[in-house]
Amino acid sequence: MPHFTNKKIIVLLVGTILLVALISFSLRDRQNATLPEQFIKDSVGLAQSIVAKPANYITGIFQNIQSLLNTYEENQRLKTRLEDFAVLQAEVNTLKSENEQLRELLNNEDSLRDYEPLRATVIARNPDQWEEKIIINKGSSHGVEKNMAVITTKGLIGKISLVTPFTSEVELLYTNNPNFRVSAVVQSEKNVAYGLIEGYDEERNELILKRIDSSLEINKGDKVVTSGLGGIFPKGILIGEITEVTTEDFGLTKMAYIKPAADFSMLEKVIVAKRSATVIDGSDGEGTNADLTNNTGIPGEGEEE
Amino acid sequence: MIPLTAIILFLLEPEFALFSPIEWNGELFYFVPRFLILYLIFLSIYYNPKRAVLYGLIFGLLYDVFYIDIIGLYTVLYPLVCYIASWSVKYIHQHLTITTILSVLLVALMEMVLYYFFLLIQFTNLPFMEFFMNRLIPSILANFLYLMMLGWAFKYLIDARVLQKIRELS
Repeated sequence: MPHFTNKKIIVLLVGTILLVALISFSLRDRQNATLPEQFIKDSVGLAQSIVAKPANYITGIFQNIQSLLNTYEENQRLKTRLEDFAVLQAEVNTLKSENEQLRELLNNEDSLRDYEPLRATVIARNPDQWEEKIIINKGSSHGVEKNMAVITTKGLIGKISLVTPFTSEVELLYTNNPNFRVSAVVQSEKNVAYGLIEGYDEERNELILKRIDSSLEINKGDKVVTSGLGGIFPKGILIGEITEVTTEDFGLTKMAYIKPAADFSMLEKVIVAKRSATVIDGSDGEGTNADLTNNTGIPGEGEEE
Repeated sequence: MIPLTAIILFLLEPEFALFSPIEWNGELFYFVPRFLILYLIFLSIYYNPKRAVLYGLIFGLLYDVFYIDIIGLYTVLYPLVCYIASWSVKYIHQHLTITTILSVLLVALMEMVLYYFFLLIQFTNLPFMEFFMNRLIPSILANFLYLMMLGWAFKYLIDARVLQKIRELS
C-alpha cells in the first residue's frame, strides 16, 4: 500500500465518519424517498424502462419457444381439464348471481374482494438480490400507493414498499423483513383457519404461516389465500399451498409451511391491486426491520398486511 | 464510448437479474450480475485509474439510490474495488487472463463484504455455507463466463481509446 501522510489519514477518517453517518441516516428512513432521491429514481427508471422493452421482448421469445416445445403435453392436459371447466363455469355463474342477489338483500355493496387492477411492467430487479425487490413502471401519478398488494395471474407476489411519481418498488414475499406480514386464511374442506404469513424459511424456500388456531384442522395441500382483514390487501388472492404443518414454538398455535403459487423468477407483467373497499391505515413498523414481534403483549397489535 | 458502455452495462444488470433465481434440484441459485464493476476494473487496469474511481463513485451512488436505498454502500465499494485493482497493477502482469482472474476475485471479495454487511444490519440471516453454495459460486461462475465472452471486447474498446488519445497528443 502507498505510504500515508497525515493529510491522507485525516481525509480517510473524515470520510469514514461521513460514510457511517450516511449509511445510518439512509437505513433509518428507507420507506420515503427524499426529493433528490426521487429525481434520481425517476430518471434512472425512465432509462431503465427503455432498456426493459427490448429485454422483455427477447425473454418473451424464449418463453414462446419453451411453451412451443411443451405444446403437445400441455394440450393433452388442458383437454382433460376443459371438460371439468364447463361444469365449473356454470356453477360459478350461478354462485355469482346468487352472491349478488344476497348482497343486494344485505345492502352491502363493497366487498373486500373487489379491487381495481392496475397493470404494470417490471423494469428492473434489484441486481444484488440481497433484498427481494423489483421496480415497476407505475408510480404515484398513476395512483399507486404504499402497501398495495402486487399480484401476477398466478398469485400474490408482494406489496409496494416505496413510491416515486413514476416508479415504485415492490417488496417480494421472499423477504427477511419480520414486519412483512400478510393476513391469510386457509381454505380447508371442513373449516376456515386464519393465520399470519410471517417471514420465510431460506433453507426450504417456503413461506411460514403462523398463529393458526390449534383446534382447527389443516392439511397438506390446502390452499392459502389473503383474508383481506389486514386492512389493505383485497380478499381472496391466492398465496400458495401448504406443504407441511407443525406446531409453533410454545405449542399454543400451529404453523405451516407454504409453497407460493406465483413464480418469482422471470417476473414481467404484474398487477397492482387497489382495493375498492375502505383502506385502513395500519402501522407497519415504518418499514424498518425493527422487531415488533416480541414487544407487544396484545396479539394483533402492530399487525397488518 | 467508454462512459456510454458503462451506462448500458449499468442498465443491463437488473434486466439480467430478472432471470435469477434459478431453481434446480429443489434449491434456488442466485446469479448476481456484476457487469459494470468488472468493466470498471478493466478500465482502472488498462486505461485510467482516476477515471475508473470517478465512474465507480457516480455509478455506485446511482446504484445505491435506485436499488438499495442505503446510500454509501456501493458508493464506497465501487471506487474501492477500482482502487485496489489499479494498485495491484504494479505487482502483476497485465495479461488478459490474469486480469480476468483478478477481476473475478475482486468481485468475489466484494460479494463477501456485502454479505457480512447485510448480516451485520440483519437484512439476512443466511448461513455462510448457504451463501457460499447458492450465491457466491453461481455468481462467480456466471460473471466469469461473461468476462470470458466480453473481456477481450472491453480491452479492445479501451485500447482503441488509448491509441486515439496518443494520436491526439502527437
